[in-house]
Amino acid sequence: MSTPARKPPSDDGRDGPLEEARAWGITSYLLAGLLTFGGIGLLLDRWLGTTWLVLVGLLVGVGLAFYLIWFRYGTR
Amino acid sequence: MSPLVLAAGGEGFTPPGPEDFWWPIVGSNTSNWTLTRPAVMVLLSVVLIGWFFLAATKRRSLVPGKLQFVGEGIYGFIREGIGRDLIGSKDFRRFLPLLFTQFTLILVNNVFGIIPFVQFPTMSRIGFPIGLTIITYLVFHAVGLRKKGVVGYLKDLVPPGLPSWIVPFIFLLEFVDKFITRPITLSLRLFANMFAGHLLLLVFILGAEHMILDLGPGFKVVGLLSAVLAVVMTFFELLVEVLQAYIFTLLTALYIGGALAEEH
Amino acid sequence: MTGNLNLVGYGLSAIGPGVGIGLIFAAYINGVARQPEARGMLQPIAFLGFALAEALALFGLVLAFVL
Repeated sequence: MSTPARKPPSDDGRDGPLEEARAWGITSYLLAGLLTFGGIGLLLDRWLGTTWLVLVGLLVGVGLAFYLIWFRYGTR
Repeated sequence: MSPLVLAAGGEGFTPPGPEDFWWPIVGSNTSNWTLTRPAVMVLLSVVLIGWFFLAATKRRSLVPGKLQFVGEGIYGFIREGIGRDLIGSKDFRRFLPLLFTQFTLILVNNVFGIIPFVQFPTMSRIGFPIGLTIITYLVFHAVGLRKKGVVGYLKDLVPPGLPSWIVPFIFLLEFVDKFITRPITLSLRLFANMFAGHLLLLVFILGAEHMILDLGPGFKVVGLLSAVLAVVMTFFELLVEVLQAYIFTLLTALYIGGALAEEH
Repeated sequence: MTGNLNLVGYGLSAIGPGVGIGLIFAAYINGVARQPEARGMLQPIAFLGFALAEALALFGLVLAFVL
């Protein structure tokens, strides 16, 4: 009998490493969101000549990263 | 710090900076192929680890002696706490050599940062964390691709149950996360912790030395305080070093486990 | 003294999320200490709060480079 990887969080206090790893996952999702959508915003700015698309891109990236974090880690 | 020192009329003090991490031994100062001290230290650490574990397993008895006990303790910690929990008990054995090697290598090299005559954490030269991260990166992507195929692996990036209009954005986000951000944060975390820790110790120790030896009596008291703080920060550095080795290995195991997971 | 004012701004802006994350996890530890069975319920909330506070810290970091 094999245990599946990444068991859902148990209530007996044994998932110490999973918690820390979850925290780092959150940080890297946020950073990924900022970098991709900020990067897309930056490229669109250069192409279209506007100045505010970078900020919109950053905000959209953070918003999407929040949504993904909520979906993965918040509703289990 | 220098403007204050100059204002007090003391000698110039160059604060420690990134140039203090460059320590060539053989070769010129600027070429890309000089043999530097960290490179020699990493080789030495490999020899040390190999010698230790060979000595620990030379006479294997059921009731372990001291060396074998320590060796078994470290191995058991990685195998149970990190390997079995995060990769699942079916196929964690394949990755145990990788995890074990990473943990011991990073641990020994980090602790080099506070051993009295050595005192240089080799992971503070960014090439070493990058090398370890490249291995982790290749392993966890290759494992996932081989298990699920390219299309299945990409499809597995997106968690199920999302409204379908948002899936392309989330896919882009997850793709950038898994292929770009994760290796960057993995290597940068180890590098930045070791770099900052070593720089902190350098500032306290060199500042204490400068203040006690070269400046007036008021500064000598502050220099003494700085030396005490250097001792405190050394213990803190030990904690950070062990923790960083543990976290690196933990995240490697987590990524491999995530690539092997069949459900979400 | 030469340097970039961006870094001073980033350093100051890192105070807020630092305090925020400390408060969040202090509350989580408090809650779990008083009632260990509540650990499963409090954990998602703690991590959501952590994500929100961390976002501000990362915002500061990224904007220090972009602007």
